Amino acid sequence: MAAVRKNILTDDAVRDQYVDGVKRLKAEFLGPTTADLGIPGTAEQVSTYDLFVAWHHIAMFTFTPPTQGDRNAAHRGPVFLPWHRFMLILLELHLQRVLGDPNFGIPYWDWAADGELSDGQQVNTPIFTDAVMGGQGDPVTTGPFAFSATDPSSWRVRVEAGVQGELRTTNRGLRRALGQFAPNLPKKSHVKDALALDTYDAPPWNTASEGFRNRVEGWRPAETAPGLHNRVHVWVGGDMLPSTSPNDPVFYLNHCNEDRIWAAWQTHPGSAYLPDQTAPADLQGHRIDDPVFALLSDPVTPRQMLDVTDYYTYDTLGVA
Amino acid sequence: MNKSELAEQVSDPQSLVDKVRRYQPPQHGQHGAAMETVREATYRGHRIVVRTSYHIQVDGMTLMGHLGVTNDGQVHYHPVPNLSFNSAIELVERLIDIFPDDFAARSPEHPHASPEHPHGQEA
Repeated sequence: MAAVRKNILTDDAVRDQYVDGVKRLKAEFLGPTTADLGIPGTAEQVSTYDLFVAWHHIAMFTFTPPTQGDRNAAHRGPVFLPWHRFMLILLELHLQRVLGDPNFGIPYWDWAADGELSDGQQVNTPIFTDAVMGGQGDPVTTGPFAFSATDPSSWRVRVEAGVQGELRTTNRGLRRALGQFAPNLPKKSHVKDALALDTYDAPPWNTASEGFRNRVEGWRPAETAPGLHNRVHVWVGGDMLPSTSPNDPVFYLNHCNEDRIWAAWQTHPGSAYLPDQTAPADLQGHRIDDPVFALLSDPVTPRQMLDVTDYYTYDTLGVA
Repeated sequence: MNKSELAEQVSDPQSLVDKVRRYQPPQHGQHGAAMETVREATYRGHRIVVRTSYHIQVDGMTLMGHLGVTNDGQVHYHPVPNLSFNSAIELVERLIDIFPDDFAARSPEHPHASPEHPHGQEA
């Protein structure tokens, strides 16, 4: 039976399961250490949740191909959407495991609905209240991921990216700065504009491309960038800004919504993934039958991520 | 790989351990792409090649992460993957905001801090 992914604001049970599940993964230490990830210093065990943080960071620093500095193994190229679909599926399976619920689905944050509010109202959106994801601050001190210096079981950032791009250990609270680096969230009209695009992706297959993937990722249109996905990261701020952005559990709610937008676009006739396997070798890792960058399991291909109805469906594809 | 195969791997914790241990981290200095950005274009039959490299210091500390520039002139820095900037100066200003622990030790606002004991770190 496939899971049904729901809006986190419309189903309290799913919301509570998500919070419970990510906390369980944060407290689970199966054996991998910082040394396995190339982090210098004394080897420390890394939680299952933090392995996902590291995977995202490492994928981002795996340039495809290494002779250029734009497209990487998970971003700024065609594989952006299938790679993150794979990441969420894998996290969802681990959440199902620790929750003992094979039907649990990661909830999404319909941020375009909040984008319809005034800029001032957006920072007070229900998702950043105590009952859902908690508020903002350095550190966050409210809600389920609040930091307490005297409570070692409170939510701690344990691996982070440094300014030099290195992965390193730390022990601090979560950071958020809502609206500090972008004034507002994307609106439904922006999502609608993306859905109207006919082509998934196009040369030069990077941040300069015109197409659905680059619009959803948020590099186009350049004059209003950051858009959609990027804009949500930037608007939340704090730990959602560096390459270790999965440190904030809001990361998955954001990407679940982008995945939902892709699922809505896929219902349109002719919504094919590009590039196909005849594309040149410098697009390795992005072509439809290439294995994507994996760290925590065997890899999948973009083609295997096109029909995922065995894994999950959405309660609604009404995204705009 | 289908759902049952992936679910089987997830159900076996040792599988995850084995997968992570198979990863080979890049050696120091091998991380990231070339520091030089090469932009190429053709205009009226003429081949244009622009090679750009940046050397940036903040309070004497050299930034080592990959900094690139796209054909439309936008500058980006890989450790902040969701942003691009009109200028490298603007980019570095944002880095100071986004990575407070890396710069606090060098800030005039924290004259007694040192790189070994930066502010913002909890014991």
